Amino acid sequence: MSQERTVEIVPEAGLHARPAALFVEAVNDHEAEVEAGPPDGDLVPAQSMIAVTSLGVGHGDELRLVADGPDAGAVLDELERILTTPEDELEA
Amino acid sequence: MASRTLTGTGATPRSGLGTVVWYDPEITLPDADESEGVDAERDRFEDAVETARAELEHERDATAERVGEEEAAIFEAHIQFLEDPTIADAVETSIEDGQPAALAVDDAFGEHIEQFEGMEGRMAERADDLRDVRDRLLRLLTGGERVNLADLPEGSVVLAERLTPSDTAQLDPETVAGFATVTGGRTSHAAIFARSLALPAVVGVGEALNDIANDTEVIVDGDAGEVLVEPDDDERAAARADEGADVVEAMVETGDGREIEVAANVGRPEELEPAAARGADGVGLYRTEFLFLDRQSPPEEDEQYEAVRDALDTFPDGRVVVRTLDIGGDKQIPYLDLPEEENPFLGERGIRRSLDPDSELFRTQLRALLRAAADGAGELNVMFPLVATVEELEASIEAVNDAASELDDRGVDYERPSLGVMVETPSAVFMADEFAKRVDFLSIGTNDLTQYVMAADRENERVGHLHDPTHPGVVRAIADTVERAHAQDAWVGMCGEMAGNPDVTELLVGLGLDELSMSAVTIPDVKAAVSETEYSAARERAESALRVATRSEVHETIDQ
Repeated sequence: MSQERTVEIVPEAGLHARPAALFVEAVNDHEAEVEAGPPDGDLVPAQSMIAVTSLGVGHGDELRLVADGPDAGAVLDELERILTTPEDELEA
Repeated sequence: MASRTLTGTGATPRSGLGTVVWYDPEITLPDADESEGVDAERDRFEDAVETARAELEHERDATAERVGEEEAAIFEAHIQFLEDPTIADAVETSIEDGQPAALAVDDAFGEHIEQFEGMEGRMAERADDLRDVRDRLLRLLTGGERVNLADLPEGSVVLAERLTPSDTAQLDPETVAGFATVTGGRTSHAAIFARSLALPAVVGVGEALNDIANDTEVIVDGDAGEVLVEPDDDERAAARADEGADVVEAMVETGDGREIEVAANVGRPEELEPAAARGADGVGLYRTEFLFLDRQSPPEEDEQYEAVRDALDTFPDGRVVVRTLDIGGDKQIPYLDLPEEENPFLGERGIRRSLDPDSELFRTQLRALLRAAADGAGELNVMFPLVATVEELEASIEAVNDAASELDDRGVDYERPSLGVMVETPSAVFMADEFAKRVDFLSIGTNDLTQYVMAADRENERVGHLHDPTHPGVVRAIADTVERAHAQDAWVGMCGEMAGNPDVTELLVGLGLDELSMSAVTIPDVKAAVSETEYSAARERAESALRVATRSEVHETIDQ
């Protein structure tokens, strides 16, 4: 049973460079398949840095996350934390 | 003979003179039929990825230490690109089709690089990142020699099509005189690294750069954004004079023994370590706004406490001057509901907001500061911005007392920091003696003080000529502040841009300033200038500067 949520992006730079790297790293650290995309658009695999970056998600945009697997809830919590923390307060 | 000049975008306000070394990481790809077998090529690819990852982790850690956490973050992104399953899958498919690993890597990255290249802004930067990761893998796969940028002869000027963050981070500002690139803009990684390392650099020079041969002598003028080819003697002399001074860790004094504290202006926690590395004796202005910007609600007391304590721990033997929240004017914070004002710079800003309507926020910040003063290693000084009246100062001190008694009630450890006033208004200049009776120090903010003394908006180019702290009106205001404060045994610092200009260091020392605080990049230059100054001579020169009538006469006095 997959879980999903939609999160508004806080980091100024959007989902780029450091926030994107932490995002992908978090996905790979959990036992869950995660996909991400705009609320009304196609989803891409969230364990791919290229795919995540090419979404071009900016500050204030919304991102829909769908997770499936034993860690689905945990990975969504962690991703939400990364996406809603200003970049200079992000910790790895 | 005059030199030839190429124009680009200056990345750092510095010049460097040196000899050209072209950096051209050439890679020769194998032919399609040169596969050594599927298993062998797959192993090579996996080994290359593993080595690349180790290199990137090493560069990330080294960059965090030498340049800063923010610049190091780019390597985390590179690690994720390196391990992208999309790339791994595409490479695996090509290798199974009988391709050598290097060609498979080149193809797999190629389409994504093109995809990002066609986009704008930050997306185009990702094309550079992918290229960087690809070239790293190709170098490992083809056994290509890497030009060792960390080990160039002293006085090298590196020229390149582009420099990746990995390349730039290897450059040692102690030996490399500067660099110039064909592509890139002011916000490119290379330019940002150059600024953090205080390395002379010009980016985006264009194809003309390719005409400069190895071993040519050039000047990279990051201030003007120019590359001077085969400079003449005058140009060489000017560039030599502009080469940065060595880092001096200890406090410096004038030739005749007057100690001047040279400190850093800091706006973000990541700037603390680099400031210490450039020889800052302490922090002369720690702007706390970063804690309040880019968020939806104000920071908690504990978060503020930790940020200030970290700053104090970075300078265990020094002094850290923290400025309380300075909001209003041109800075906006969504959750504070700042008023629209006809003249925001003459409106509700600085201490005016902290006393009312942001008094709760102010009290929280003061509690955090008092707690940090007890627990942090260095000595905390707290400074109030834009104070114009004694009543405001007394209300601010009262707020400190209230914060202390709240902590008493809570049974929490705290320490009362030294208190100070930032001198930015003409009123503060005239009232400096009254302020100095009530606090331990004053710090002159020359940017705002110049704006208010000259009645010239800092942002308005039409009156830009009036916005110069070497106008006699401002010089006299500085002298007056120092004299009134010293008469009450308060020390006086300066934390505006003027403090970081080594050309006026002698004047400022002569005017009697005890501390100069500036952006970290100029600290070595100003420390060198202090050491070359004789206080007695500086004093005479300052007195002459106080007797002249025009800005140009002030400059004549300084330049003599």
